Amino acid sequence: MKTTLALLSALAVVGSALAQTPAAPTAPKPATSAAPAVAPAAAPPPPAFAASNLSPLGVRSMSATCAACHGTNGNSVGGAIGALAGMNKEYFVTQMKLFKEGKREATLMHQIAKGYSDAETAAMADFFAAQKR
Amino acid sequence: MTINRRNFLKSSAVVATATGVAGITGCATIGGTGPKVVIVGGGYGGATAAKYIKMWGPQIDVTLIERNTEFVSCPISNLVLGGSQQMKDITVSYDALQKKYGVKVVRGEASAIDVEKKVVRLANGDSLPFDRVILSPGIDFIYDAVPGLNNAEAQARYFHAWKAGPQTVALRKQLEAMPDGGVYAISIPEAPYRCPPGPYERACQVASYFKQFKPKSKVIILDANMDVTSKPGLFKKAWADMYPGMVEYRNQSRLLDVDTKTSTAKLEFGDVKADVLNVLPPMKAGKIADAFITANKRWCEINWITYEAKNVPGVHLLGDALQIAPAMPKSAHMANNHGKTCAAAVVALLTGEQPNQSPTLNNTCYSFVSADRVVHVASIHKYDEKDKTMKTVPGSGGISSAANELEAQYAMAWAKNIWADTLG
Repeated sequence: MKTTLALLSALAVVGSALAQTPAAPTAPKPATSAAPAVAPAAAPPPPAFAASNLSPLGVRSMSATCAACHGTNGNSVGGAIGALAGMNKEYFVTQMKLFKEGKREATLMHQIAKGYSDAETAAMADFFAAQKR
Repeated sequence: MTINRRNFLKSSAVVATATGVAGITGCATIGGTGPKVVIVGGGYGGATAAKYIKMWGPQIDVTLIERNTEFVSCPISNLVLGGSQQMKDITVSYDALQKKYGVKVVRGEASAIDVEKKVVRLANGDSLPFDRVILSPGIDFIYDAVPGLNNAEAQARYFHAWKAGPQTVALRKQLEAMPDGGVYAISIPEAPYRCPPGPYERACQVASYFKQFKPKSKVIILDANMDVTSKPGLFKKAWADMYPGMVEYRNQSRLLDVDTKTSTAKLEFGDVKADVLNVLPPMKAGKIADAFITANKRWCEINWITYEAKNVPGVHLLGDALQIAPAMPKSAHMANNHGKTCAAAVVALLTGEQPNQSPTLNNTCYSFVSADRVVHVASIHKYDEKDKTMKTVPGSGGISSAANELEAQYAMAWAKNIWADTLG
């Protein structure tokens, strides 16, 4: 099953650098003091999220959800929103970290970035770095 | 024929599992005999699913059934009512889906889904066989709940304009014909309904038009809900700051009926006579999905891993027709995300793979509170394996700190990108 996943995705996604361990250098956990989004009155029990699927197909699916704003495979056609295709991997990871920590000014991405773990962010960075612009 | 195809599918799945690479290339070389997917509804959900299945599984034969000749976007359509955008600005062709991706786009009306025979029947008598079917039927209106509008004649005078197209144009004409000093009232049904912030954005857009051209006029919002259902603080601030004395918000104002003789909205407490009465009736999943409705007689429950109907595996459902997960809006952005997540699952199932067990979705809804100022709400949703539903990631998501012009640029860029991502 594993090989199939890898091979299929190699066909469709142009291979992936996922074999490398996503570095997440010294990144400490982002501050948890951030205000909850649309805060519900009573705190619900913590979600039991399924473990991230960082296989090539899992990462492809997750990255595809960025496309609604950033264009298919990261090729933005809307001027004001930047393209992600071909973006340097380290740059992607750093910017997401800055968004998460509130250190890069943003209207919305600081809220979005907090939805993804460091490992997920690194995997998406690999995906977009491999996309043709 | 059908049996042969099934056998073929089975064997191709086996090959895929055994040797990995043969799955996709093997099918592709045979050409024309790939598994068949039929998609009903070419809105944000269905069109996205069609494109992404072809991107990720080019050997799969994809047919998209759509009743309209062109795609007209609901997002941004309120700006046509406000006057800053035209219909041509929100209209997109289906050509790229056909020419660039090889989706067969069939103009027509699906009339029935025959799950046993695995065919979609069309109103014109044709039938299309499928291995898997995806329904993205959007919403239909429950006119029974508004007896005065439950006839064609009334519906030709009182518009919802909640499916962008001719009704958008018709409602704009009513606003243009209304004298200065007139009243526009919009009736909002109890949630859930398509596009939570949409009615409040529309109130802003109509007020924006009035402010410029009919400053003595009024906008009255008759909301069946306890409070504004999306971005309440931001919308209320916009009404107070930008349209003082013009916009009146009334919560808990469920519409009981419309008196079409006097153009009056009948409410539990008091009636409202309006020159332009814009009624959003209660909504349900689009009619073609009726057999898969399992929640409150209105919405379709699904398995969030495969997007298959809870009551009938093998039939996939998307978009506004779904019984939503907690805090998940019925939005275009969400339908686009459903479309590609479902596409990934369908490609996996047709090639003998296990679908992704931990899907992640995101949502962004921009609302124009004037022609050039915008507010957003954003969220990230992940699969909760205990409750088998999508839940928002704690600490993520949020809303604009205030209405601003920068996000108007982003909102238009979002529109261009999502149209291209869905159709181009």
